[in-house]
Amino acid sequence: MSGVNLNKVVKSYGDLEIIHGIDLEVHDGEFLVLVGPSGCGKSTLLRMIAGLEEITDGTISIGDRIVNDVPAAQRNLSMVFQSYALYPHMTVRKNLAFGLGNLKMPKAEIAKRVAEAAKILQIEELLERKPRQLSGGQKQRVAIGRSIVREPELFLFDEPLSNLDAELRVQMRVELAGLYQRLGTTMIYVTHDQIEAMTLATRIVVLQAGRVEQVGTPFNLYNYPQNKFVATFIGSPKMNMIEGKVNNKGLDLPDFGQISLPATAPKSGAIHFGIRPEQFTIVKSGSAEGDATSTGEITLIEYLGSELFLYITLPSGHIVLVQASSQTQYKTGEQLTLSLTAKNAHYFGEDDLRIPLYDEKK
Amino acid sequence: MKKFFAKNGPGYFFLIPWFIGFFCLALGPILYSLYLSFTKYNIFKPPKWIGLENYEFMFLYDDRFWKSLEVTFSYVFMSVPGKLIFALAVAMLLNKGMRAIGFYRALFYLPSILGGSIAVAILWKQLFEYNGVINTLLAKIGIEGPYWLNDPNYSLYTLVMLGMWQFGSPMLIFIAGLRAIPRELYEAAEIDAASKWKQFYAITLPLLAPVIFFNLVLQMIDAFKTFSSAFIISGGAGAPLDSLNFITVYLYNEAFAFYRMGYASSLAWILMLIIAIFTGVAFFSSRYWVHYENERD
Amino acid sequence: MTDLSIQEASDIARSYRIIRDKRKRRATITKHLFLAICSLVMVYPLIWMIVSSVKPDNEIFGNISLWPSEFIWQNYPDGWEGLFLSFTVFYKNSIIVTVLAVIGNTLSCSFAAYAFARLEFKGKNIFFALMMMTLMIPYHVVLIPQYLLFLKIGWVNTFLPLIVPRFLAGDAFFIFLMVQFFRQLPRDLDEAAMIDGCSPFKIYWAVILPLSLPALATTAIFTFIWTWEDFLGPLIYLNDIRDYTVPLALRNFISQDSVSMFGQLFAMSILSIVPIFIFFIFFQKFIIRGIATSGLK
Repeated sequence: MSGVNLNKVVKSYGDLEIIHGIDLEVHDGEFLVLVGPSGCGKSTLLRMIAGLEEITDGTISIGDRIVNDVPAAQRNLSMVFQSYALYPHMTVRKNLAFGLGNLKMPKAEIAKRVAEAAKILQIEELLERKPRQLSGGQKQRVAIGRSIVREPELFLFDEPLSNLDAELRVQMRVELAGLYQRLGTTMIYVTHDQIEAMTLATRIVVLQAGRVEQVGTPFNLYNYPQNKFVATFIGSPKMNMIEGKVNNKGLDLPDFGQISLPATAPKSGAIHFGIRPEQFTIVKSGSAEGDATSTGEITLIEYLGSELFLYITLPSGHIVLVQASSQTQYKTGEQLTLSLTAKNAHYFGEDDLRIPLYDEKK
Repeated sequence: MKKFFAKNGPGYFFLIPWFIGFFCLALGPILYSLYLSFTKYNIFKPPKWIGLENYEFMFLYDDRFWKSLEVTFSYVFMSVPGKLIFALAVAMLLNKGMRAIGFYRALFYLPSILGGSIAVAILWKQLFEYNGVINTLLAKIGIEGPYWLNDPNYSLYTLVMLGMWQFGSPMLIFIAGLRAIPRELYEAAEIDAASKWKQFYAITLPLLAPVIFFNLVLQMIDAFKTFSSAFIISGGAGAPLDSLNFITVYLYNEAFAFYRMGYASSLAWILMLIIAIFTGVAFFSSRYWVHYENERD
Repeated sequence: MTDLSIQEASDIARSYRIIRDKRKRRATITKHLFLAICSLVMVYPLIWMIVSSVKPDNEIFGNISLWPSEFIWQNYPDGWEGLFLSFTVFYKNSIIVTVLAVIGNTLSCSFAAYAFARLEFKGKNIFFALMMMTLMIPYHVVLIPQYLLFLKIGWVNTFLPLIVPRFLAGDAFFIFLMVQFFRQLPRDLDEAAMIDGCSPFKIYWAVILPLSLPALATTAIFTFIWTWEDFLGPLIYLNDIRDYTVPLALRNFISQDSVSMFGQLFAMSILSIVPIFIFFIFFQKFIIRGIATSGLK
């Protein structure tokens, strides 16, 4: 089987440790996305799995085989690079066949596989061209083609879409998802773009500063972020964070005032109260719903077409971001009343970890 | 151990030729040459240690050595500045998007690429014969030319001219350097009503300083090592009256005509030290007159 | 001041423009005239040599004209056989030495450059610094010990001392040139090749080399020119006229002191630089780029 297992993996350059003992289980046939801000170590981790970076400590196994000292070529995986890394002096056909030739595969078999891959990716007419004669999207297809002809047990992608323009990126994302469904092979995919992560992944690993913050399905990550970092990293635009104080009646929030908490809540200290832009309700003409309300001024409107985002400055000076229907007219300077429901919000303690007050049993 | 080789092996493998070359043809010979410079050695009998005697003789008694230093330095200090000034002037003429630039560039570079050849040295020698072309031309304008090759007062000039004739490679480097100066700077200066001369020393010269420095070092090292042309034009012996006895020519004759390998080695070391000192001084002084664009303040 | 009519103002502007254009044109003409004169001075010696090679001997000296009274084409075949041995032999020797030197230098320098640019191994920085230091060493310092070494192993009077060192990556300049070139190739290519199952050697051979043709060509061309023109090396190592390379043979021509053979001497001199000239014409692009970017001679 071709799952991947990382056991206390450490990477350091000299004295500088940049991956701090990561444990991770990649299931066979899943599409795992490593996501995190730049410099979090996600690419390094991928390159260690690929065999392009040495493993300082711990073990990595692919299938049942520990691959720490196995050269990249013998790990039976393939990789798509951010820059595509197509060989500029070879035609597309040669680019696809190069790796197979190195495996001493019979010519007929190589030709067959190249033709197949070209057909899947619709690059048959491009086979005799050199990479510099291709557009960005075509290069991307060839790069993917080069990895599928190998028929590897494991696909690795290192930010493969980040050099494409927005429209093409969306299109390739769909194609990649289709490819994954068709092949069903294990894929590990690195990106800093959380939308890419959410749309493609069966599971997402959020990394920060060389540590795993959370592993889970896109649904889990969005709805049950395990700490403040994941809460603000996943979701666009970001979750609002309001710091409140616990008192004997529940939680005292600035601007919104008192809300009550279940009995399981901590009895003292501060709580980071997180609420996504779409979880506010805009209160019309006095009919208050929800658990608490506050009135502020619209300072900025971002119109996105299907919806819009309002930046609302509350009396304390705190700015919250609110999603609203684009069908209603708003003006900057207008006063608006927001209400929130305690049950929909996320709670994080002083240690930034999630306090599961209202979570249903998963 | 196995892991060490798996990791470092490929690197060492690709360096094998270089390692052999470095130890057998560079490091080893340098050290051996240093040793020889303290010996008396004529190939036929083993080297005999004589301490500093070679150097003592060289500095205190050997007039030919001092003469060869004088000749070499005169050559360097005349040919290098001349060459660079000429190269810069032509490069500036060729700079601004001119027609036929490729033609001129190739033409001016041609002497440099042929210049190291014996053919050109032979040609040069014939041009400067007493009844040669140069004197015939001078006679046309009423000047009686000297015995260029036989008069020790003039012989060095033939070589200086040969050196300057080969201004092609610094010229090419200057052209590349001039291209890298942003046009807007000149346009801004034009608007500020700076004269062409002012533009030259306020913009071109300072921005070109790294390139000038580079050319200077390169050409100087090269000039110190001049051999073939001096050897041919001086008939192999540095004649007349040692006026073309460059230190390289002197060294060659000591070693391969008289088999005084020990003494020749000490001459070689002096040459190396001179080159090292000049390169060092150039690099050291460059901090004061060369400003690099991307320098941190 | 405000009394100028539009008509008057535009007249003045036009006359200014005419003056300016005139001045500009005059400057351009002056520039071209100057460059043309320069070119003439630059190439005159070469053309004079070509013409002299077909002049009768008594017309060579002191004759500045570029048109002979009669064309003595016979100088070429006579000169070819003018020495004890035919120039066929010398050309053959030169070609053997040069071709092998070019192959050796290009291969061995690219080997070392690949290690320095792309592979990781212990001591890399130290070795690189040592390599760069050999740039500074004048050939004359290692000349004597190298000669003694080759004498000891019996290589003097063979081509080996001229060829074997070329296979040992002795030319730091070219290593450096190629290191620079290799470094700017994307590293992703190596890694993609690694995943595609290439050994370090295969990456060097199938990915790096094919992508570095400009750097390889520059190295090959300059090695060709320098080796072809090399005089000191053959002078020291080759003593048997049957082993002479073309420059050595030419030198023999002048040391024979038979004044009557100048036509033939020039004919052979020209033939000796024909290969360089051809290279220059065909590979001008590489040569000029090579110099402009790296300061090669």
